[in-house]
Amino acid sequence: MSMRPDSVSAAIPPARAGIGLRAPHYRELLDSRPDIGWLEVHSENYFGGGRPLWFLEQLRAHYPISLHGVGMALGSATRLDAEHLRRLKFLIARIEPGLVSEHLCWGAVEGRHLNDLLPLPYTEEALAHVCGHILQAQEFLGRRILIENISSYIRWKHDTIPEWEFVAEVARRTGCGILLDVNNIYVSAFNHGFDARVYLAAIPAERVEEIHLAGFDEGEACLIDTHGRRVSEPVWQLYRETIAWLGPRPTLIEWDTDIPALGVLLEEAATAQSILENMENPHAHIRSLPPDGAHAVHGRLSTAGRLRGRGAVLREFPASPLGAALQEA
Amino acid sequence: MLSQREAQERFARGLLDASDAAVLGHIAGARGMDAAAGLAVYRNNTFSNYRGALREAYPVVLRLVGADFFDHTADAFVRATPSTFGDINVYGAGFGGFLEGFPGARELAYLPDTARLEWAVHSAFQAGDTAPLDFARLAAVPAERLAALCFVLHPSASLIASRWPILAIWRTHQPGGGEETIDLGAGGCDLLVIRRGHDVDLEPVSAAEFAALAALANRAPLGDALEVAHAADPDFDFGACLRRHAAAGTFADFALE
Repeated sequence: MSMRPDSVSAAIPPARAGIGLRAPHYRELLDSRPDIGWLEVHSENYFGGGRPLWFLEQLRAHYPISLHGVGMALGSATRLDAEHLRRLKFLIARIEPGLVSEHLCWGAVEGRHLNDLLPLPYTEEALAHVCGHILQAQEFLGRRILIENISSYIRWKHDTIPEWEFVAEVARRTGCGILLDVNNIYVSAFNHGFDARVYLAAIPAERVEEIHLAGFDEGEACLIDTHGRRVSEPVWQLYRETIAWLGPRPTLIEWDTDIPALGVLLEEAATAQSILENMENPHAHIRSLPPDGAHAVHGRLSTAGRLRGRGAVLREFPASPLGAALQEA
Repeated sequence: MLSQREAQERFARGLLDASDAAVLGHIAGARGMDAAAGLAVYRNNTFSNYRGALREAYPVVLRLVGADFFDHTADAFVRATPSTFGDINVYGAGFGGFLEGFPGARELAYLPDTARLEWAVHSAFQAGDTAPLDFARLAAVPAERLAALCFVLHPSASLIASRWPILAIWRTHQPGGGEETIDLGAGGCDLLVIRRGHDVDLEPVSAAEFAALAALANRAPLGDALEVAHAADPDFDFGACLRRHAAAGTFADFALE
């Protein structure tokens, strides 16, 4: 694929902080062009033309672009939607993004799309099926994609594979990259009572090409991944650990509900950027999961996220408490 | 063991129809929640997502009926009308027709057409872009073939006819639209809804112009469009109408039958 001379969108997002591009910020971003590493959009919001695509066309001249899909429902037991793939391929040809990603989830049954990111049964059957769909998608699109771990509020009783092993195996079988959503790991670790460090330890570091960060809400009984507030302190903490282990990776601040002023996103991105620049901080450590407590279920769920980078950084393990934890294991 | 397909089918039914008995035995809620509470988180989220999408598409209907009734209607619509595409932005076609038969909305006779107008506007914003009409190629069409020319309307274009003053209703209920009182007996309107540049225009057109554009939208050749326009108004200036729409970008392309 040729890169148009006036564009930097095809560049792979650098290992810096980026933000999700949302409609309320189009004009301000284009006029002010803040110093952020890259932009990510929800692919489906650009399946049409008009104003959204026009702004994305303008911004791609200034920032590397990542296309992040929320609607392909790769783990559904139905066939992949050929029209969805066709529209995505058309958008890819037009925008020439550095990264393309989707979620490790299902979302449709025969004759009905649910338009949500739903957790798979983590079984051999589902693994084989979703890997088949990822391979089909990669072949049709003519490129690798990244797959993001989701947050969840239920699990299937007939799961036979831990989620972290499922994610790692998907990457191994399909060659796809991993978009590691650190907030989703934190939320699901709390919700399902597993150790986020065990999850991270199972992820093949060299496959992690992007990281997502977002804010969650506290529900009555569990954490809800709303993408409607600032990244919480324990998630920043887990992110420091993750970066100390992986090395720097392109890191996205996602915000999808109650979208704030652009300046708030830039502040969050600056926090991520400073962590990326101080990744060897030996004091970083993963805090324990939040204590049990009453929370209230409210807000919309949303899902999106991803990350990228390269380099196995096993040698960094000794420098971090995470590494120490792994060595002890 | 429950197959992946069966698991997903049961979950989907439990999510939408409240017939969740078939799935509850197979899932565990997060953090000590029981299965029903876990499923309820997804159910709330799903309906909330669709309400949001419908509110986005139908802001005037929302203002006309209020949030509570709108959400109640939206939930019933979602149960009756499956989304069939992974892009939730395109969900909601048919809400106007649904309102026609929905208890509580029947007294608002203008509501279905208002909704149809809103869907036309919403769809126009999302339609794809096209290259400009190729005037050089158009000029090369020999005069004797013109009657067989079929124009392709811009993908954002919709033609909406109503016996209610839906344009006035729509304008009055825009943000900052004022307090104007609508005379429901003021008569209907014929409208072309189309994206021009980045904005969507709602253009009142005459009956003859509407007839001509509707014929062209159905891929009728120019000769037929001329006939239906003149049937509506013998004095209609068909040539001027065509030139205006060609210049304004109403036509994206053309073909010769």
